[in-house]
Amino acid sequence: MHLPFRSKKTLRTLAVAAMVGMTAVGLAACSSNDNQGSSGSATKGTVNWWGWTPTNTDEAKDFIAQFNKKYPDIKVNFKLIGISDYQATMRPALASNGGPDVFDLQPGSYVQQFGTYAEDMAPVAKSALGSDWKSKIAPIAVSGMTYKGKLTALPVGSTYAGTLWINHDLFTKYDLQPPKTLDEWKHVCQVFEQNGQGCFVQGASQEGFDQDTLQSIANSVKPGYWTKASKGKAKWNDPTMVKTLSIWKDLFTSGIMQKGALGAQQYPDANNQFLTGKYAMVMMGTWYTQYATEKAMTEAISAAGVAGAKPFPIVPIAFPDVAGNGNTSEMFGDADYGLAVASKSKNRAAAETFAKWIATTKQGQQVIANRLDTLPTLKGVQPDFTTIKFVDPSVQETPVTDLLKKVGSVNEPRFALLNADIENAFLAAAQSVGSGSATPQQAAETLQQAAQAAAAANG
Amino acid sequence: MTETTGVRGARMSHSGGTSGRPALRGGQGNASPARRQRLQAPGLPWILPALVLGVGLIYYCIGYTGYMSTLNWDGASPNPESVGLNNYVRIFTSDPVFWKAVWHTVVFFVVTFVAQTALGVIFAVMMHSRIKLGILYKVIVFVPVVLAPAIMAPVFRQMFSINGQFNWLLEHVGLGALVQPWIGQESTALPVIMAITIWQWTGLTFVLYFAAMSQIDQSMLEAARIDGAGNFRTLVSIIWPSLRGTTVALAILGAIGALKTFDVPWLVTIAGPNNATQFLGTYIYQMTIQLAHVGYGAALSIILLLVALTIAIILQVVGRERTREKKGAR
Repeated sequence: MHLPFRSKKTLRTLAVAAMVGMTAVGLAACSSNDNQGSSGSATKGTVNWWGWTPTNTDEAKDFIAQFNKKYPDIKVNFKLIGISDYQATMRPALASNGGPDVFDLQPGSYVQQFGTYAEDMAPVAKSALGSDWKSKIAPIAVSGMTYKGKLTALPVGSTYAGTLWINHDLFTKYDLQPPKTLDEWKHVCQVFEQNGQGCFVQGASQEGFDQDTLQSIANSVKPGYWTKASKGKAKWNDPTMVKTLSIWKDLFTSGIMQKGALGAQQYPDANNQFLTGKYAMVMMGTWYTQYATEKAMTEAISAAGVAGAKPFPIVPIAFPDVAGNGNTSEMFGDADYGLAVASKSKNRAAAETFAKWIATTKQGQQVIANRLDTLPTLKGVQPDFTTIKFVDPSVQETPVTDLLKKVGSVNEPRFALLNADIENAFLAAAQSVGSGSATPQQAAETLQQAAQAAAAANG
Repeated sequence: MTETTGVRGARMSHSGGTSGRPALRGGQGNASPARRQRLQAPGLPWILPALVLGVGLIYYCIGYTGYMSTLNWDGASPNPESVGLNNYVRIFTSDPVFWKAVWHTVVFFVVTFVAQTALGVIFAVMMHSRIKLGILYKVIVFVPVVLAPAIMAPVFRQMFSINGQFNWLLEHVGLGALVQPWIGQESTALPVIMAITIWQWTGLTFVLYFAAMSQIDQSMLEAARIDGAGNFRTLVSIIWPSLRGTTVALAILGAIGALKTFDVPWLVTIAGPNNATQFLGTYIYQMTIQLAHVGYGAALSIILLLVALTIAIILQVVGRERTREKKGAR
């Protein structure tokens, strides 16, 4: 190959130019860019929305289609990012100028980590709902999305945990009643096991779901203690928590928890095993309500790998009084997710229009409500049961509607008060006690140390 | 033809044969050849872009990671707090998970290296013995190398779950007593990860040993036969010593690979249960991405880098000394 350079000078000039160019590119890539976005038009433009939910892109398309009926000139592009990749993806994206205009946030560590990249949405909520906007949205959703006095995202929906879901057909088949105490739970699992049927399944390798079970147990031991400890007003190494962890251990040793639970993930492992009928009970919250419907249940079973999926009725039950103290476990919840508007967005006004429509209008919230995936945060909006078809209305309608009524009074947070370090400490405690490598007392001490370290780190 | 002329033209240009730069040449009339070469640096313009890229992307990033390791930073806050060497002190004095990860790395390296080496040599010897359908076996042994762990991880999760195929197999061959949640308990999770790694990388070990064995002088093997050496003796005394260079290279690659282990333990067991399959790579990811302790994660990364460099140097030096001893003995 002949290179048409006439002299070394030309070569060197080119080389220096290449070097300068590459250095510039490198420095540009490495340097931070604090450019602020611009407002733009509120009724026109393109909005890029990134989130881990809705996990079904068709659902997001449905939201967008409904939104476009009112705002046809705003094009919304939804990009689904898996929850396990969300933090890794969002940190560089939000720090750059090429990130999303709208992004999902959930209470707790996400709000704390990414809230700094979001606009304060309180003025947007005020413009949509008036000065008393806080009274029109579920308070637990507002508090979960607020960090250091800033409303980091408009809460779209809320979820609540502290319930078990059971396969009604399997309970009927073996003539079993939903357990209300630890002994009844053990008995139910013994009967299932004797018949070669899996009883309770949990993905105990994931902290969020372990926390749900632990918080439910703690609420049975001493209602409200968990929240108190989450606020730093009580200690995690208190006898209440030691008792909680002892009962957690009992779930493993008594055969309630399935073998290999510590290596299983709630999604997809536990979810698939419940939906395919291998296990009769699972620890899930209100987000599971969607599977009470024939359509969503059929789709979910099919997605779990069952050909010719035949839906079965699932029913929510209260978490048993495992401590035997007579305390029915209270539910707890947060905003499921909220929509944040990126400070660097170049289409901020259009992005705010979209977030505002989903979170604060009856039309937007009705779309959310009817999905039964997450519960609407705008007060007064309820799922339209005339359009929702249960698998077996005779056994599902009452418990499901009761559940949806019950969550209206829930005021105990789920993740909102915990940061990533404490959540990680919960996983360590749950796994070390479950595996027997630590006693409940030792795990509780470690938990308290982690909480103290986290409190010190966060001032 | 054009190509030839072009190459020649380029060569002439490098030697200063064309009208290039008479003034410079005149100025260097009395310089020594070495000095002249240094001043002319004929290859420098060509390597500069790569040099800039290499320095910019690799060494700058290493330097920046070193700087980050002195911070208490979540990766997003505009005001990171400088903590000096505190992150390193914490790692070495009060972080049991770090030491667990180090221990797992050591065990993982020893077990996988020994197993892969043994299997690789055995397969290579067998393939050199002209067995039937040798090419098919080679393909079968090598295929796992080209399969992405992300594709295989769900398969292994299913295979080693309590209701998985491995337990099913055990039950059907009369070993039902061994049925257990392989990836769901601390005692067996790491062995499963090691088994997957051995399955995945033995093919590469085999190919390298197979190639190295092809280089062994046939006359040495024949001489051994004439001296009465059997198969085992030939393998131990002739073939194995001849593979030392390959073994050292594989040891270096294996050690660095063990230090960088991430995909299999993360995708199959999420580094659990209870950190039972925690490695430095997974721990760095957890700290940096999941827990947003970017400074702490950077300190772990620097330690990982230093350990990898140290191991590579030690293995290189040991390998060279052995080679020198071998030559001296001859």
